[in-house]
Amino acid sequence: MDVVVGAIFICAGAIKAFDPIRFANDIDNYKILPWTIGVGLAFYLPWLEILCGLALVARVLYRGGLSILTALIGIFIAATIAAKIRGLDITCGCFGHASKNWSFSTHLALDFLLLAALIFLIRISSRRLA
Amino acid sequence: MKSRPIRQALFLVALAFVPAIGEAVYFRDRVSWQSPVATSELVTVDQARVWGENAIWVDARPDDEFTRDHVPGAVSLNEDRWNELLPQFLQRWSPEKRVIVYCSAESCNAAREVAKRLREEAQLKNVFVLQGGWEEWLRKKR
Repeated sequence: MDVVVGAIFICAGAIKAFDPIRFANDIDNYKILPWTIGVGLAFYLPWLEILCGLALVARVLYRGGLSILTALIGIFIAATIAAKIRGLDITCGCFGHASKNWSFSTHLALDFLLLAALIFLIRISSRRLA
Repeated sequence: MKSRPIRQALFLVALAFVPAIGEAVYFRDRVSWQSPVATSELVTVDQARVWGENAIWVDARPDDEFTRDHVPGAVSLNEDRWNELLPQFLQRWSPEKRVIVYCSAESCNAAREVAKRLREEAQLKNVFVLQGGWEEWLRKKR
């Protein structure tokens, strides 16, 4: 399962890394952060996702990668729900252009599915270490 | 044992800066760190006024706001009624004219989106976004 989850994050990160300007606009649409910070995150977050995804697939720096991805997906979910509550009609930007037409419920369902998978992997890896 | 995941996470967080900085350098001319619109695509109210008859104003705000008030001579073109309004705009447009798109304020997205669609879908050149939008226009009018 870690390979699948890792591959999903590698794929999501790569799509955004190819078009950081679009991702910066997607972040800006959430109206949470100033544009300058959004641009910085648009350059940084995709690579963090790719590296953490690779960590899961290669099982190198595994627990660190798992922790970061769990935190990231938690932040994405919180930002998405906050945007919905504030009445913003936005695309999540999670998978770049590919997720442009996803509905709010579709992308929230995928986020929760990934969160559940990550928590499951953390529990398994904790049990192995115990 | 607990410090291992934290140390690993910190290492990954630091490592991600390397390709991110590289990419930021590569894209340095294509993205503005100050504004969502590249500086070359922005126009101030003062600059726009100098263009006078050589410019066509496009109001990207919703219909009700356009009906209430707008820049004299402006054409309404918003994303809600894009297909309906675009042909009306194109009737007024000519290749030698610059296009100035505005929405309600500096923070709105509509002008940026309409300008982008005019460049990409209608293949127009010389499309600019008004800095500060309608609010700035009103402020300068006083």
